[in-house]
Amino acid sequence: MDLGLKGKVALVTGAGSQVGFGKAIALLLAKEGCDAVAVTDINLEDAKKTAEEIKKLGSKSIALGADIAKKAEVEAMVNQVIDAYKKIDILCNVAGAILQKDFTPIDEQKTELWQKQMDLNLFGTMYVTRAVVPHMRKQKHGAIVNIGSGSSSQFSFGVQVYAISKYAIDLFTKELAFQEGKHGIRCNCISPGPAPTNFGAVLREGAPPPPKEAYDKMHEEMMKAFPLGRMGTPADIANITIIMASEATNYITGQVIQVSGGNVM
Amino acid sequence: MDLGLKGKVALVTGAGSQIGFGKQIALLLAKEGCDAVAVTDIIDDVNLTAEDIKKLGKKSIAVKGDITNPTDVAALIKKVVDEFKKIDILCNVAGGIASRTPYDKAKPEDWDKDIRLNLYSIMLTCQAVLPYMREQKSGAIVNIGSGSTRMYGHGAGNTYAIAKSGVDTFTKQFAFNEAKNGIRCNCVAPGPAPTNFIPGPDKQGIIDMLAKTIPMGRGATQSDIANATVFFASEMSSYITGAVLHVSGGSVLD
Repeated sequence: MDLGLKGKVALVTGAGSQVGFGKAIALLLAKEGCDAVAVTDINLEDAKKTAEEIKKLGSKSIALGADIAKKAEVEAMVNQVIDAYKKIDILCNVAGAILQKDFTPIDEQKTELWQKQMDLNLFGTMYVTRAVVPHMRKQKHGAIVNIGSGSSSQFSFGVQVYAISKYAIDLFTKELAFQEGKHGIRCNCISPGPAPTNFGAVLREGAPPPPKEAYDKMHEEMMKAFPLGRMGTPADIANITIIMASEATNYITGQVIQVSGGNVM
Repeated sequence: MDLGLKGKVALVTGAGSQIGFGKQIALLLAKEGCDAVAVTDIIDDVNLTAEDIKKLGKKSIAVKGDITNPTDVAALIKKVVDEFKKIDILCNVAGGIASRTPYDKAKPEDWDKDIRLNLYSIMLTCQAVLPYMREQKSGAIVNIGSGSTRMYGHGAGNTYAIAKSGVDTFTKQFAFNEAKNGIRCNCVAPGPAPTNFIPGPDKQGIIDMLAKTIPMGRGATQSDIANATVFFASEMSSYITGAVLHVSGGSVLD
């Protein structure tokens, strides 16, 4: 299927991790024909590694360091992309994290954790999107794909604040789709289930890491409860993200798509 | 993007109308690499669709039959399997607004018509392909739902909308239960498009009028629906099951 990505310029946030969704998405955008794929991450050195791989695929790329939770850094980052490539056709908002597992009841949770989690996942996505949308409006065309989370439709202890921030992303997606449709801008959200990215490492933060065998066994047990019987892969997420960023879906907007092997329906 | 459809056998119901979603889906499946695409409909024009598939260099058979009749459905699946040995992909496109009587005046017979055409039909085809998909431990089913399940006030089509809501839930129940057998099931829910669903000769005119209330400012096209359907039928979505995707330019956001 020709996805109509030839000549497009994309920006992918959170593309530094070498095992994450962001990198897989950025590489697939390049492979499927994007002219340029700019990548950003809080860790510039990691983003550079991703940019190198994009260039090997024959597309242009720049790596930019930015903490999306900081408005000024985001604006400077987006300006650099515009300076380099003159436009942004596709924005993939992948940057985000579970900052801490918190098993305390609501009245004991730290306000600082709520604040930080919202600053990163919600405000960060909002800053990037706000900086990009005016450029898309000018050309009356643009596709935004946000990475949500299966956790926003499920309940589990320890990640409530993260889940709430991602639930807000679902709604942000719909509001943006509703408001910007008339400017030719689409916005959709991909909600992954658990995958072997660095999210697992973050979840273990603060606790001694279990031996790898025990961790693998835990996952194996967990996956038995998943209807399709396996964990997601970065490729699963990248495939649907690229489809939603492409011309093949230019009548789809405001949708939240669960990619979790039937775990969330 | 290579969708991994090479060697696959697909069956598309409701593929007779030459301006419908079914035909467009069948042609795109063929174009994207399916080995064979069988098509069925209650109208003779289904033969024209099969001819067009063959022109793309792919195998096809047209089977005329009534999708609401268990005997016809059994015969249909038998013919497809006899011809192509398997069914990897089933696209349940057949459906329609059978009764335009609003609920406050409807008789059980009126509801029967819509539920049979839009809901029982899907149960019948899914039941019939299941043994083959279970045996090969893989299969992808895409049901065509409807944006009408989330839009209210169109009194004349409300029984249709109710039946299509059943399709959404059936999709999820089926997806959950059959995942362990390697069978996925998703639903594509279109917004209004210039197909035979729109009565009269000036279909695009009516769609353009409706478009004023749609965030993207236009109606759906047959390609919009075919692209999403073929993606869900393909290996590129092998971790997506039980999803209902609205392809309606932002008309349905909840």
